[in-house]
Parts: sequence; C-alpha cells; structure tokens
Amino acid sequence: MQRRKFLSLVGLGAVAMSAAPVALSATDWRADKPDVWTAKNVDDAIKAMYGSKAIAEGGVTVTTPDVAANGGAVPVNVKSDLDAKTVAIFQDANPESAVIVFDVNEYGIVNYDVKMKLKSVGEPITVTCVVETKDGKLHSGKRTLDVALGGCEG
Amino acid sequence: MGAIKVKPKLKNGIVKVKALASHEMTTYDIAKKRTGNRDDANFITHISASVNGTVVWEASTSQFLAKNPIFKFQFKGIGKKGDKVEMNWVDRKGNTGKGKGKIK
Repeated sequence: MQRRKFLSLVGLGAVAMSAAPVALSATDWRADKPDVWTAKNVDDAIKAMYGSKAIAEGGVTVTTPDVAANGGAVPVNVKSDLDAKTVAIFQDANPESAVIVFDVNEYGIVNYDVKMKLKSVGEPITVTCVVETKDGKLHSGKRTLDVALGGCEG
Repeated sequence: MGAIKVKPKLKNGIVKVKALASHEMTTYDIAKKRTGNRDDANFITHISASVNGTVVWEASTSQFLAKNPIFKFQFKGIGKKGDKVEMNWVDRKGNTGKGKGKIK
C-alpha cells in the first residue's frame, strides 16, 4: 500500500513531494481504484468501489435542496451514525458518477457538506450516498432533486 | 499555489470546520470545450486535514465538485482551542495547495 502510494506520488514532481507527508498517510482512492472515477453509472461506480455486496437501504441521510437553482454549486449534506470506514457520494446526471469518497478515521464524524456540480438533464437527479461500515457492510441513502440550470456546461 | 481558508470552531467537544479551497475544478467536458483537449482538465483529487500532524479528515475527490469548493466536516477527540487545523490538497496536474486555521 505504502509503496503504491509512493509510486503514484513520484510523478507529481518535487513541489508535491515536499508537501506530501500528510497526503502519504492517506488513502488515495483515485490511485487505488481508478475504475470508480470513470464509471458511467451509479451501479458500476459502486461495484468498482465496493464490489457486488448487498446494500442495505437506510442509516444514511442525504440532504439537498428540492430544486437547485445553480447546478454549478449544489449543496449536499451526508449524515450517518453508522460506524463508518468510508463514505462515497454518487449521482446520475454527469458523464461519470463518482463525486467524492471520504475516509473516516477514529476522530471523524459522518456529517459532511460539499458543493458539487450537476448537469441539468431535464429530469430528476438522484444522489446516492454509500456508507461502508468498519465490519464491511454497505448502507445507502438517496435523495432526488431537480437542477434548474446545469453546472457542467462551463 | 492555491490556498485553503480554514475556519475551525470547537463546541461541546466537537470541532466543526469550514474550509474553502481556491481551485477552478475544470471538468473534462469544460476543458474539451475551451481548449479542445480533454486532458487540460484539472481538479483537486485529494484533500486532507490534520491537527498536530494527525490526519482527522480526508477525501478523494472528482471533477464534479463546485468551483472553489467548500467543505464542511467535524471531528472529535483531538484538538483544543488554539491548535491549528492544517489542510492540504493535490490536484490532477500535481499542484498543491494548503492552508491552516486556529481552532476557536
């Protein structure tokens, strides 16, 4: 694991290396599971990330506005009381599905806000959030919203 | 070199952090539209926060975060008033950004 991370960082050059100590202790899911980030739909992305395990609905709360006026910055909140190891957010509007994967450590509380870009596709968009617990179980929460003006067109 | 504004606040044993990273977050589609080259896309790929050298929060990120993305997160069991929360990001092109804020 460490070696792989080191190799992935070598390419980043001297500037990155000098700032790397913190990043080195972290899991870089982009390097570890590149398929997650290129998957074109939510199911494929979840499979790439977590395998074909059963996902229990519930235990995860996803909050967004009902209608996002500006697709360029759609606020999303994810909350869960589960003993989480990772938390991942996916959506079904953009060309690729994965938005962000959080690693949760002993200090972490699963209550995250991020702003994401969503394309306007003329139909309701579903944001899916998957929580992987420390004992390897998967839980998901969903939220459907409309986007008035898309944020991926530039 | 980009910057992150970090504002941590301690209340009832929980440190709540608001962070704003300055970054264009160019998606592949936007890059293709602007320059014709999909590979010009650039966005933050990994971001983390630490207190006194211990990582308290981290995320691997995609092109679909908003421009100048805002992150809010919480942690407990570490950090007291006056400690600094330090944050670092790395983007697709290998640039880095950092910032820190004192816990209030």
